[in-house]
Amino acid sequence: MTHVVTENCIRCKYTDCVDVCPVDCFREGPNFLTIDPDECIDCAVCIPECPANAIYAEEDLPADQQHMIKLNAELAQLPSWKSITKRKAPLPDADEWKDKSGKLKELVR
Amino acid sequence: MASTPIDTDALVIGAGPVGLFQAFQLGLQGIACHIVDALPHPGGQCAELYADKPIYDIPGIPVCTGRELVERLRQQIAPFQPTFHLGQTVETLQATGDGRWAVGTNTGSAWRAKTVFIAAGVGAFVPRSLSIEGLVPHMGRQVWFASSPLPDFAGQHLLVTGDGDSALQACLDAASTAASVTLMHRREHFSAEPERMEAFKAAQATGRVRFVAGQATAIAVAGERLTALRCLNAEGAEVDLPCDQLVMALGLSPKLGPVAQWGLQIERKQLVVSTDTFATSAPGIFAVGDINTYPGKKKLILCGFHEATLAAFGASAYLWPNDKTLLQYTTTSTTLHQRLGLI
Repeated sequence: MTHVVTENCIRCKYTDCVDVCPVDCFREGPNFLTIDPDECIDCAVCIPECPANAIYAEEDLPADQQHMIKLNAELAQLPSWKSITKRKAPLPDADEWKDKSGKLKELVR
Repeated sequence: MASTPIDTDALVIGAGPVGLFQAFQLGLQGIACHIVDALPHPGGQCAELYADKPIYDIPGIPVCTGRELVERLRQQIAPFQPTFHLGQTVETLQATGDGRWAVGTNTGSAWRAKTVFIAAGVGAFVPRSLSIEGLVPHMGRQVWFASSPLPDFAGQHLLVTGDGDSALQACLDAASTAASVTLMHRREHFSAEPERMEAFKAAQATGRVRFVAGQATAIAVAGERLTALRCLNAEGAEVDLPCDQLVMALGLSPKLGPVAQWGLQIERKQLVVSTDTFATSAPGIFAVGDINTYPGKKKLILCGFHEATLAAFGASAYLWPNDKTLLQYTTTSTTLHQRLGLI
């Protein structure tokens, strides 16, 4: 079990979640945050923090986001995706991208 | 500075719902305890994250808020008079060599405990800091957390960051004596009690406090002195907000902290326990609630209550191995009635 960041985060990256993570399990890419499943302890504290409602417990993941389990794990292993532990400014056009769906093609590794 | 250690049969680390109920179950077993917590009040996540949110899965209570649950638990454990040590974080836990555990906090409290109950949840709640470099050398001189006691800001130019009750209150407290009071947040939208927002607006109208929208990017210093907080303003321009004193009122977040360094068996940052007594890998140390892991573990308060109950039985057998630990009912047992202070 782990928690999973879904496509909702892509091109938003509000980073509110990283402030509350007790185990610092978020990793940062250019326009997406991922959860390292080996570090996450399923405390669920990050879920209500996300303005884009992007974070789910693995077993609550919507059917159309199942692919994000594998993608979170994969991105967390990329050497260029570093640990992020403190909130920073969201991407400049985060609010415009917030409620858009089908953003997977926008993901930058 | 370390004080003389307090000798105790049991020390509970964490005053969340499970830590509080641990004190109740220990009390039924005739074991007095001390409870330590990082927050200045009991309740843990129930107080910090869910104070006003409803909980529906406590047996026998169809619905209550986090705050109500904590209040009920405090009433329930009152007969056992556990000693609270609040606003401090346990940092060290070491075997003493005589079968006890030496436990110490960041404020110098210390215990020699025969049994320890780690009910630390997802960690100690610590204040959030602005995510900019270079603040640490100024902490305690010009930079403060609103959750700690604040000095007198009379005659000083004060800058407060945050949007909650503690941010507004820090402004109001200093408004009549400080040279100036500025509140900065990303936008002029506060998440505070209505009365406090009213009071802040009133102070704003008189010019005693002012609000600036901005996002901190750095600090400006002259020699060893912090002179301003550098921010991006609403127009995206970088501006310096001059200040003598900076208060960060950004709320609290849990950090798991030193638990992993105590030499206990850990799996994915959680303490491995046996499910008969919720003992950890070290004799006399038990782990209950969100901090532990075992096959089938569910992070629910009600599961933590079960864990605390069996841990208290486990502690009784550990402390008095030659006595049989009896199962007694609070309905009928005169011993339990005595312990509950009913007779």
